[in-house]
Amino acid sequence: MKAKTYFTALTAGLALATAASAQQKVDPALASYKPVSGVSGNLTSIGSDTLNNLMTYWAEGYRKFYPNVNIQIQGAGSGTAPPALVQGTAQFGPMSRPMRGTEIEGFEKRFGYKPIAIRGAIDALGVFVHKDNPVTCLSLQQLDAIFSSTRAGGAKAAITTWGQAGLKGEWAKRPISKYGRNSASGTYGYFKEVALFGGDYAADVREQPGSSTVIQGVAADINGIGYSGVGYGTADVKAVQVSGPDGKCHPPSGQAAASGNYPIARFLYIYVNRNPNQAMEPLRGEFVRYVYSQQGQADVIRAGFFPLVKAIADQDLKAFGLLK
Amino acid sequence: MHDTPLQPARGAAAQAPATSGRRLLRLTADLSATGEPALWALGGALAFGVILIAGFLFMISLNGIVTFWPKPIERVELASGQVIAGEPTRAGRYRVGQDVLAKLSGEQRAMVQAQDGYADRTLYKTANFDLYGDDFRWVSDYERKNVTAPNDFYLFERQQWGTFVGRIKHLAIDGKPAAFDYRLMQREQSAARKRFAQIRQIERGDIGAVNYQLDQQRLAIRKAVLRHGEDSPQAKAVAARAQSRIAELNKTFAGLQERLKEIRAHDQRYKATLEEVGGRTVDLELSQIVRFYPANELSMIDKIGIYLSRWWEFLSSEPREANTQGGVLPAIFGTVAMTLLMVVFVAPFGVITALYLREYARQGRLTSIVRISVNNLAGVPSIVYGVFGLGFFAYTLGGGIDALFYPERLPNPTFGTGGVLWASLTLALLTVPVVIVATEEALAAVPRSMREGSLACGASKWQTIRNVVLPKALPGIMTGMILAMARGAGEVAPLMLVGVVKLAPALPVDGFFPFLHLERSFMHLGFHIFDVGFQSRNSEAGKPMVFVTTLLLLALIVAMNAGAIYIRNRLKRKYSGPQF
Repeated sequence: MKAKTYFTALTAGLALATAASAQQKVDPALASYKPVSGVSGNLTSIGSDTLNNLMTYWAEGYRKFYPNVNIQIQGAGSGTAPPALVQGTAQFGPMSRPMRGTEIEGFEKRFGYKPIAIRGAIDALGVFVHKDNPVTCLSLQQLDAIFSSTRAGGAKAAITTWGQAGLKGEWAKRPISKYGRNSASGTYGYFKEVALFGGDYAADVREQPGSSTVIQGVAADINGIGYSGVGYGTADVKAVQVSGPDGKCHPPSGQAAASGNYPIARFLYIYVNRNPNQAMEPLRGEFVRYVYSQQGQADVIRAGFFPLVKAIADQDLKAFGLLK
Repeated sequence: MHDTPLQPARGAAAQAPATSGRRLLRLTADLSATGEPALWALGGALAFGVILIAGFLFMISLNGIVTFWPKPIERVELASGQVIAGEPTRAGRYRVGQDVLAKLSGEQRAMVQAQDGYADRTLYKTANFDLYGDDFRWVSDYERKNVTAPNDFYLFERQQWGTFVGRIKHLAIDGKPAAFDYRLMQREQSAARKRFAQIRQIERGDIGAVNYQLDQQRLAIRKAVLRHGEDSPQAKAVAARAQSRIAELNKTFAGLQERLKEIRAHDQRYKATLEEVGGRTVDLELSQIVRFYPANELSMIDKIGIYLSRWWEFLSSEPREANTQGGVLPAIFGTVAMTLLMVVFVAPFGVITALYLREYARQGRLTSIVRISVNNLAGVPSIVYGVFGLGFFAYTLGGGIDALFYPERLPNPTFGTGGVLWASLTLALLTVPVVIVATEEALAAVPRSMREGSLACGASKWQTIRNVVLPKALPGIMTGMILAMARGAGEVAPLMLVGVVKLAPALPVDGFFPFLHLERSFMHLGFHIFDVGFQSRNSEAGKPMVFVTTLLLLALIVAMNAGAIYIRNRLKRKYSGPQF
């Protein structure tokens, strides 16, 4: 449910922006990053592996301005972020899903205030099949019938062969082999909530340890289907269109994700321990400002995600008390 | 045992006269008695093992060694009218699907049908991610209209955005447009790389030092506030002193910043305009080009030069582009430092434990239990050690150290998170059983006569151990260390919990006091392999790096082991001297 509310905010925020072009461009309204003096120290980021590369790009970019900042990045799954923030072992907790109620509670119990999140990028979750697979479009109900055992989306029967998913000829009898993420991953949780309508995964989904492992699995398996961040796609797999709330099929593009037409798109978050009674020290504050700069959002494109617009950036910077 | 040749079936032969019996017995000797099948089985097992290992090494080396070899660039005109250019990376044959066939022109369909419904396709590395949004593309043979290898296509390795494939349209030298000339561009590019190195030096070295001192001043203020209270005169005095120093440092920083700006402005005046095969152009500062070469015009010597320079970059520089390009120097350094540190911890503990167990402890039920426990420790899954290391070393010990000695840095942990120290301690725990067992065996192998000889000459027990037993056992102990080192250097799973990270550009050693920073996280070749292979955005581009890194890790372990074996052999010679 929470993801839904966030998502409404996303669509509303993006409606303010001019129509996004097909080619990914950073919102020109975002400011170019201007360094300040005296930022140095150690930062640790523990959390989502989807965000692993993006955090690395941001860290590389940030270090260009502040050469003596050390940023260490660990990414084993979104589930590892909240404990790291609570323990204080990390200053940034990148997550590919919003924190759960229990996780926020655990944090609040320790510190007395809630963690706050910045939304650093938009990620469309791609549904990938082998490059020779002729399937072009799947609906959420079909995805649910393929990946879940519960079929909460209302499909009548489970889909186990490509024929049941609408393919003909030699493909009709081919069984579907399913690739997914492991349960520590935020991608796992998000896909479960949106594409599985909160249901449970079928037992024969092969759980993979990383976003690109899913792609490699599908690339090597002609009958495969899997979900992963759309930026991880290679030439060996094909991203299937997914039919959105308007009933039409949409490719996982920045435009479709931003307009909400591509139904499995989400924000990528970075959670931060910010004491509301203190100003944020420059080491972390400047990093947040960097993320919302021209350079930071160009890094988002390099990492294969979709950049944010100024309206959202301003909203988040305000929440951090960083808006000048 | 003696009955085996005399099986009931051969009873008659056994009862035959003794003269012919000898001959018969030789003929009918049971196979299992001759040992022939056992020999074959052993030999076969050895051959199988060797083939597996050789095959594995061959695969790694083959893939690793060819990675850096420059490949040609092909320009491909497609039937659709589109033109692409790229390095062909691999090819495959596949069965063309019905739906694809239906869309093909008659000519193309005939071509596929001539090959029994199969087609060949080639994967081109088209690069130019900033323009295309992807870097690889499959092209089937029926799509291809015309393939050429143009001489004016260059491959650029860029500091950012990965590789670029295309032509050079024109240059801008010192702000003035200049026609493209390969020699000129080469000269200007190497000058630009020097500027880039200079910028790096100012950023990392000079500004780094200023930032470090600024941080120290801030921490000093915070420390004084924590110790004496916010409004105490001591804290105020420290703050005043620190503020004046900070103002000074900020001035230095502004000066450096100014200088950087100058160099950057100068750098901006040297650019190249690159054009991809479709005609779109990209402006690029020459300093952003790590390497460029005309892929189809290279002589063998050029190719070898590029190959070697890529290896050198790989071994001596930091990673770029989220670890998929550039070098692995921090990871090499981290692996070696962590392994050596582990040896420093594991050697005394293992040897002392074994000495006590073997030489001093009364051999009874208790020592047996201790021995069994040690042996069982070797069977605990390594990830369990990782969890222990995280919970005990990092959180409990490290958290305690932070609260006692580094309160001014909190909530940012200093020792309270994974680091080189905790990782090597965890691995030391993991490998200590190996050392104990090997040392015990080595001690047990020292002949009793030697000990007794020493004791009979009036030496005390400790003197005997130190001067007779330990030197004699040293080669055996070293063998244990070598095994422990090999195991430790190859272990990754527990490290992921106690301090190995994807990116830790700061080495654990630098020019700031206390020079050795054991609390820092580090990069590790084993984890690098996992990360690039399974976590990178572009797994296709990351694949060759996986093989190269694996090759390097193997070479590193072989080198460390060879070093240890060399030391062992020297010790052996030194102590094996004259004997009675």
